[in-house]
Amino acid sequence: MIEGFRLGVYSRGTTLWDGLDFAFGDAAAWFVTGPPSSGKTLLLSILRGERRPDAGDVLVSGESLYRGNAALARAWRASCGYIPEQTVADERLTVGDLFRRSALAGGGGRETERKERTDRLLEMVGLRGTSAWRISELSISERVRACLAAELLRGPKVLFCDGLVAGAGVPSWEMLWGLFRALAREGNTVILAERRIPERWALAAGDPEPVGPFRVYRLPGPAAEPKGEPG
Amino acid sequence: MSERPSLWWIDWRLSPGPLVRETIGRFLLFCLLGFALLTLLLSGGVSRILADRYAITAVLRAEVPSGEGEGLARKAAALPPVRSATYRDPETAWKEFLRSYPGLDPLRGAGENPLPGYIEIRIRPDRLTVEDVEFVVSALRAVSQVDQVLAGEEWLPRLLSAGRLASWACWGIFGAFLAGFFLFARLQERARAVALAGDFAFLAERGVSAGRLAFLRAAGAALSGFLLAALGAAAGGGALFLSLRKFPILERVIGSPADLLLPRTIASAALFSIGVALLCSATSLLGWSAARAGRK
Repeated sequence: MIEGFRLGVYSRGTTLWDGLDFAFGDAAAWFVTGPPSSGKTLLLSILRGERRPDAGDVLVSGESLYRGNAALARAWRASCGYIPEQTVADERLTVGDLFRRSALAGGGGRETERKERTDRLLEMVGLRGTSAWRISELSISERVRACLAAELLRGPKVLFCDGLVAGAGVPSWEMLWGLFRALAREGNTVILAERRIPERWALAAGDPEPVGPFRVYRLPGPAAEPKGEPG
Repeated sequence: MSERPSLWWIDWRLSPGPLVRETIGRFLLFCLLGFALLTLLLSGGVSRILADRYAITAVLRAEVPSGEGEGLARKAAALPPVRSATYRDPETAWKEFLRSYPGLDPLRGAGENPLPGYIEIRIRPDRLTVEDVEFVVSALRAVSQVDQVLAGEEWLPRLLSAGRLASWACWGIFGAFLAGFFLFARLQERARAVALAGDFAFLAERGVSAGRLAFLRAAGAALSGFLLAALGAAAGGGALFLSLRKFPILERVIGSPADLLLPRTIASAALFSIGVALLCSATSLLGWSAARAGRK
C-alpha cells in the first residue's frame, strides 16, 4: 500500500498543490490524470521517494519514505520500476544497453537468462529483434515501449509510468491494457500518470476519485472486467 | 536476480568500448614509466655515470714490490665504499702513459722506468659521496707504502653537486610525467563520469547509493591501476633487460640486468604500482565529484 498524506508541493514561487491524500492499494493498476503542468511527474517522483514533498509524507506499507530509515527508502526505490516521459538522455544507448543497465540495477543475473527474457519482453512490446538498434533511431512510441520492456526485466514490484500510454500510441493500448492487468494479477502495482485516460479505459474503470487537480482511476482487475477488451 | 546490484567494474559493464582504448593507452604509458623508473633506480640518476668516470689513484712508492701492491689493492677493495681496486705495476703504468702520450719514450732513459706502480680504486655508485671518498682517501693515506692519493678532492664536491642536481632533474622529469598522467587521467575520469551520468542517475533512481557507487568505482580504478602499473613495470623491466643484454655498453650507465631482480628493485616497482593505484583512485573520485558538481 502506498499512501500519501497531506502532500503539498511548493514550486515556481507558488503552491502547486497542498493537503492531497492518496492511497494506492497493492496488486492493482492505477491511473492518475491531470492537466499539463499540474505536477504529475512531480507526484510520481514523490511517491518513488526521489523528491521530498514540501508538506506531508509518503508511507509504504506503513513506513515513512522521508522520515524513516534512508536504507528503507533505497530498498523501496530498488523495488520500483520507472518509465520517464523524456528519454532523450539515453539516445547514445542501444535497446540492448537499456536491458543491460536495467539488469545491472537489478543485480546482474545470468547472461543467457537475461538475453532470453530480453527477447521475450521485446517481442511482447512489439519490438522483436531490435536489441542492436540505437535509441536515437527509434520513434517515441518505440522508445517508450523499449523502456517499459527494459524495466520489466527486473520484475519491479511497483511500476511508475509517466506518460507511457500517450507515448506508446493508440495501437499499443490493447497490449498495455493486457500487460497492466497481468502485472496486477501477479501482485504488482502499476501507477500511471497521464494527461488523459483512454475513453474505453475510463468507462471500464468507472468514476474516478478527484484529488486536487488529479483524477485517480483504479483499472479493473480481470475478475471485475466488463465484456470486451477496452483499448 | 539479487536485490543488491554488484557495482564492481560498473564502468566496464556500462561502457566497455572507450574503456578498452583508455586501458590500452594507460598500459602503454605505464610501460614507458616503468622503463624510466627502473632505469632511474638502477642508474641512480647519473650516479653510475659519475662512478664509472671517477677513480681514486693511490700512487705507491717506487720501492713497493708487485706482490705487496696487489695485497694492498685487495685490502682497498675490501673497504665498504669501494667497487673495485686494481693494482697496476710500474711496467703497466708506463705502457698506459705511452698510450696516452705517444712519442715520450725518450723519457725512459737507460731502460729505467720513471713511473711507480699504482692502485686504481673505483667507488660504488651508491656510495659516491664526499664522506665515503674521504673515508677511502684517509684509509689509503694511512698506509706507508702509498706515496700520494689523487682523488680530485678540490673539484669533487662540485662534481657531486652537479650530479645530484642532474639526478634530481631526472626524477623531476619522471615526477612531471606522473603528474601529467594524474591530470590527464582526472580529465578522462571526469569525461567518463559525465558520459555515464545518465546511467548513474538511472541506478540512483533505482535505489543505488551514490556513495557506494563512487566508492566502488574508485576501488575498481585503484585495482585496475595497480594491475596495469604492475604489468607496465614488468613489461618495462623486460624491455630494459633485453636492452641491457643487447647493448652491454648500457650497463656502464644503467647497471647490470641482474639488478632488476634485486629485492629493492622489485619493492620499488611494487611501490610504484601502489602509488599509481592511489592516483587512479583519487582521479576517479575527483572526476566523479567534478562531474556531479557540473551536473548540479
